[in-house]
Amino acid sequence: MSTPPLIADALQPDQPGAQASPDASPAPRAVAELLICLPALTAAALPSALAAIAAAFPTESVLVAAAHLPDNPADFPSLELIPYTTARSDVGWILAAADYAAAAHLARERNVRAVLLLGGDSAAISEPNALNAPMLRSLADCIRIKNIDLVLPRFALGPHEALVNSALIYPLSRALFGADIRFPLPIDAALSARMAERLAITTQRLIALNQGHSLLWPVAEAASAGFSVREVSAADATPPTPPPPQNPTDFNALFASVAGSLFADIEAKASFWQRVRGLPLRPNLQPDPPALSPLEASSEIHSMIETFHLAQDNLEEIWSLVLPPQSRLALKRLSQISPDAFTLQPDLWARVVYDFTLAFHLRTLNRSHLLGAMAPLYLAWVASYLRTVADDPARAATALELTAAAFENEKSYIVSRWRWPDRFNP
Amino acid sequence: MRQQLGQQIGSALHQSIHRIVLVLASFLPGILAFLLAVIVFALLGWALSALLRALLSAAHFDQRLASREAPSASGLLAEWSPANSPTLLASRFTFWLFVLVGIAIGISAFDASYAVDSRYSIFLFPYVAHITGAILILLAGTLLARFLARSVLIGAVNAQLQYARLLSHGIKWLVLVLAAAMALDHLNIGGVVVELAFGILFGGIVLTLALAIGLGSRDLVTRSIEKSMEKPLPRPTEIPSRPDAAPTPPPRLRHF
Repeated sequence: MSTPPLIADALQPDQPGAQASPDASPAPRAVAELLICLPALTAAALPSALAAIAAAFPTESVLVAAAHLPDNPADFPSLELIPYTTARSDVGWILAAADYAAAAHLARERNVRAVLLLGGDSAAISEPNALNAPMLRSLADCIRIKNIDLVLPRFALGPHEALVNSALIYPLSRALFGADIRFPLPIDAALSARMAERLAITTQRLIALNQGHSLLWPVAEAASAGFSVREVSAADATPPTPPPPQNPTDFNALFASVAGSLFADIEAKASFWQRVRGLPLRPNLQPDPPALSPLEASSEIHSMIETFHLAQDNLEEIWSLVLPPQSRLALKRLSQISPDAFTLQPDLWARVVYDFTLAFHLRTLNRSHLLGAMAPLYLAWVASYLRTVADDPARAATALELTAAAFENEKSYIVSRWRWPDRFNP
Repeated sequence: MRQQLGQQIGSALHQSIHRIVLVLASFLPGILAFLLAVIVFALLGWALSALLRALLSAAHFDQRLASREAPSASGLLAEWSPANSPTLLASRFTFWLFVLVGIAIGISAFDASYAVDSRYSIFLFPYVAHITGAILILLAGTLLARFLARSVLIGAVNAQLQYARLLSHGIKWLVLVLAAAMALDHLNIGGVVVELAFGILFGGIVLTLALAIGLGSRDLVTRSIEKSMEKPLPRPTEIPSRPDAAPTPPPRLRHF
């Protein structure tokens, strides 16, 4: 028995039906059916955020949860302002377990039909990132009109942004859970009542363990529950980012945190993703051999390749515990070729990621060591990817598609190794 | 004359063998008591561990524990469990606990069955306990050295330190030398010589590492010190003019 894949449609806010015009809007309601959860905002930023919400939903009553009330709540008669009953997380740049728990708690109390959970770092930004009216409306309408359970924004990012998402999160989510959602680790999310309830159950354990800052993977959660998932275009919005790492230790800690959480979620849902079919076949992507950008153009790329070479010289013993001989040989060859021809093939990268996922599951070595030993390989992928895409968004999209397709093609590899780790070791 | 000499030698040998047999005979009850205690407690431990494993398996202990663990948590108990099974860990712990208790009781029985004024007991028994302690110290030291060496190696590689392997080996040998010195000290072997040798070795390794780091990463240390010092902002006139230095562009890459 196999589970059908989830296919996302990037609903444009300007499409008919996607955007509720004031004429077509439902009549004003006495009881709000939409709850919008705002992140912690400064006192100066809150009124503009509330004004944006009031403009997005001019003819209906909306519940708005905020950390504190504005000075003049009477300025927003269509909004019912309520405080949070449980604290949100202080992660900021991404939604964490406590954020979902706080939203779900309010949704249950107020018996709302749809929840817009907005994130954002109050210290880094002065207003929520997603507060543009068309996107708020399309997020809410997708839940209420199309009866979708989870709707996530699809940001338009450049080739040099959200690289961990492009390398790991999106390909793994698509290949294993059959969910073609570009940003599975969301900063904003729209949830149906049952999805909020489902996430509340998942977060109960984390909140009880005082781990409200833990990351949650709503797309995988929805897929395993058989809920529908969609994404809407958020091309105009700019997602907040975590503070830039001051030194390599910051990056490594964040990388280990995100990758470890993703691998743990994959481990927890192993019985589900081994049954999931892949997405329908896409048009055959056979691009011309990608031209590489000049190496001297970027010191960052050069530095990443050097880190990979250093790791190849020093971490081979640790990699040998995780990677099969075939992958090790390919990596050794990669380290020996000239940096001008440095290319990490998508299928090799997919296998490497799957091998590390399996080693995480089998606890082949200490997990912090495992994730630390993976970081140089990720940097090698980034170097190869950046040299291939060369600042061109079209080439970046092709490269990303090739990477995701490689993960889908190699899915049988991880399934076989997961089931028979000792017998199947090419 | 020759016959008398032969009789004397034979008698001496006979007496020697007699004394050896006497010593062995006096040892035998103690050894028997020791072996009996170890075997009985090992059997008891085996039975109890099997019972515990059956009970925990019936209660789905592993699954219950996994469901109570946070998904993002490292799962400390399972991390250290053989075959990722806390049930197996608990049953093996029970078995080895009983074996250790059996050894302790066996040693006590051996001691009690032997004469108090015997010079063998004074010499031997403190050493049995000390040898066990020394082996445990060496085992713990080896495990710690391996863990720290890997941590340092991975951290140094990710920090792009060229001497990552040297650092890793240095840390590993520091811990191993420390463990060996502690074990020898525990056994009362060597005395001052061990302390002196340990001091020389430990100091030598630290000095080697300090020299390697100091010479290999002068720039890194300089930058680190500069960053940690609170320097007043220079006045505009004090900003060194470097016509060839272009403003450093912000990093374009965003990993997250």
